[in-house]
Amino acid sequence: MANINPKFGEALKEYGGINFNACYNCGNCTAVCSLSTPEDSFPREMVRLSVLGLEDDLKSSLKPWLCYYCGECTTHCPQTANPGELMMSLRRWLTAKYDWTGLSGLLYKSLPLSIIAFVLTAFGVIAFAFYESFNLETIIHFGHYFEMIAIGAVFTFILLPNIIRMWWFVILKPKIQVSFSTYVKSIGELIVHMFTQKRSLGCDDNQVRWFEHLILVLGYLALLFTTVFLDWFSSQNLFIIILGYVESVVVFVVTFDFMSSRIKKKKEINKFSQPSDWFFVIWLFLMGLTAFIVRVFIDLNILETNSWIYLLHLTVLVQWAIIIVPFGKWTHFLYRSFAMYFAKVQELSAQLKK
Amino acid sequence: MSILQKNISFDALVVGGGIAGGEAALNLATTGFKVLLVEKELSIGGKMIMLSKVFPTLDCAACITTPKVSEISRHPNITIYTSSEVSNIDKIAENNFEATIIRKPRYVVIEDCTACQLCEQACPVSVPDQYQYNLVGRKAAFIPFSIASPKAAAIDIDNCILCGACEKVCPTNCIDFTQETEEIQISVKTVILATGFKLFDPLLMPRYGYGLFKNVITSMQMERELAPTRPFNTVLRPGDGKVPDKIAYVLCTGSRDASIGNPICSQICCMYSIKQSQLLMGALPMADVTIYYLNIRSFGKGFEEFYQQAKGMGVNFVKGKIGKIRETENGNGNLILRYENINEGIVKEAEHDMVILSVGVLPNQDASNFFKKEELKLDSYKFIYQADSLISPARTSIDGVFVAGTASGPMDIPDSILSAGSASSEAISYLIQK
Repeated sequence: MANINPKFGEALKEYGGINFNACYNCGNCTAVCSLSTPEDSFPREMVRLSVLGLEDDLKSSLKPWLCYYCGECTTHCPQTANPGELMMSLRRWLTAKYDWTGLSGLLYKSLPLSIIAFVLTAFGVIAFAFYESFNLETIIHFGHYFEMIAIGAVFTFILLPNIIRMWWFVILKPKIQVSFSTYVKSIGELIVHMFTQKRSLGCDDNQVRWFEHLILVLGYLALLFTTVFLDWFSSQNLFIIILGYVESVVVFVVTFDFMSSRIKKKKEINKFSQPSDWFFVIWLFLMGLTAFIVRVFIDLNILETNSWIYLLHLTVLVQWAIIIVPFGKWTHFLYRSFAMYFAKVQELSAQLKK
Repeated sequence: MSILQKNISFDALVVGGGIAGGEAALNLATTGFKVLLVEKELSIGGKMIMLSKVFPTLDCAACITTPKVSEISRHPNITIYTSSEVSNIDKIAENNFEATIIRKPRYVVIEDCTACQLCEQACPVSVPDQYQYNLVGRKAAFIPFSIASPKAAAIDIDNCILCGACEKVCPTNCIDFTQETEEIQISVKTVILATGFKLFDPLLMPRYGYGLFKNVITSMQMERELAPTRPFNTVLRPGDGKVPDKIAYVLCTGSRDASIGNPICSQICCMYSIKQSQLLMGALPMADVTIYYLNIRSFGKGFEEFYQQAKGMGVNFVKGKIGKIRETENGNGNLILRYENINEGIVKEAEHDMVILSVGVLPNQDASNFFKKEELKLDSYKFIYQADSLISPARTSIDGVFVAGTASGPMDIPDSILSAGSASSEAISYLIQK
């Protein structure tokens, strides 16, 4: 027996859900969705579960992650119940539920708290720089190590436990019997979706959006690798220097386009932006741009006299690494690919059962 | 270029010669008042005269409408202007309205025409027949439809090539190309607006493929295929003339849909679709008929029984709005409908060889343009506003102007006739009040 919880709708509105209570269950959204299949039919089911407030069913569902938001459901919704944005808000809500610290939820729901977090982090960086007497060499050295440590720590203490929680919600709690070999067999799905997001090609709207997103992901990952492991800022190798330039340009140009689409609001996907969406694109843009300028200053030999630019870059980097990556929108990179992985695991297990 | 006529007076002006306008005119006329009935089409009878049967009694619509239409046409107190439109109505004082009617030329003297159809045979021009909802063609010199009233030829001057063939063969010399548009100024004491409704144009929903796929038709086209005066004399699909055996109805096409701007229920589509499905089960006993619905609103007297009867006859009812329609790839003209089966929660595709879009009711906003000095208010869905919908449902925002039938909102035929009765009673009491 499931208990209906009408108040759940109010909670979901804090994550951006709009007017989904208007749904009269015609299924038009599911029928126009090009990613919806007989095995995985959505978004109406998700709208229904949200209206009824069946949290456990929502938590165990991977369907919010199977949607790549072309917005057709919202365009054609006869009740203007905006199923597309509901799916988006469910992804935010799930991100908060997967997070064991609970900080994701707080930051998603409260803009003031997010701003306080960003300000405190900025103060921390400046205080550190002050402590180091603004010695650029020490700060750059620290920045380099900070990245490595942050990646390791965030992954070990936040992201890995959260993925385990996701696994618990979608596989263990619903008591799906999965053999070890199924986990191994499905691993290809994880890798493919993590690095190609190929499922979003199934969306009707266009291939341009997928391509932009793909080069942004690859550019971002490569920039991370180039700065952390190839030590871009200290490198003398011409190839590495140029590589870093290209990657940082890709990052800030693509994110600039994303920001302008969110301002223009021409497509359904861009019409509703939560603070978390803005933080994500703006910080990614700033990361790419400041990294680019820092390296330009290094190459022009004027960084010594303009150390503020590196401080700015470091501030953006630290905010990104300890706020947005563990508790913000960055996590969709992991959850989306793991959702495809778990979906494959579920599918294979169901086949074995038959 | 128009001839002006002045100082013709009537007691009442009824705008719209459909079933509501006709009924209201008849009530006024039999009470002894002089009525002018203005109809923009070539025949009175409105949409009802085009229908197959009526729900839930399955009486023949034409057999009910034609006697009524004859009575209206022959009534000594009723003057009918067909192919005429009201251009404006001014209220001078209570019981005193002045109206201007634009009477377009028919190019045929109605009184002399014997409807022999020789002009039709002689005319070399073929165009889609709007009275058969473009299922078949007609000539530029044509009789609107077999049970039209007045049953007289008309020349479609927009498509006419002025060859004179019709004039030569006409045995009564009733074709007159010298007719001109007349502007007629009349004074009346009361006005009844029975301007009816418009059907939703499914071209506005490209995802249903109407106009692109030949075997997707509207419910009004199916009405014509099922009517006694039907164009093909059988039910067939327009794409290739095949008799369909897997028919789908798409309910709520253009109703209850805010995305196309009409969020309200049309009140008739469920029932006329159920009616058509029963007629199809009779006409094509081996056919499968499936009705895709959101909710079946069988709210009227005898409606629920009628719905259950259709189920009993074997009509399939599937809950789920059709999302997309596409044609099959193999070129057989069949259609694939994509929908979510709500009871199962699963998205499905079904192949049908003919699809009928149950199109909804939209307001006809013409009446709001008639009044220049006073404001004829429309409601939030652009139907004529009922100033006192509970106690005096025919009253509009202008005293002495009454509304009948679907001009005030979606309704079925019995309700339209009730509404016309109410409008004519209120008009009569307005006429005799001192």
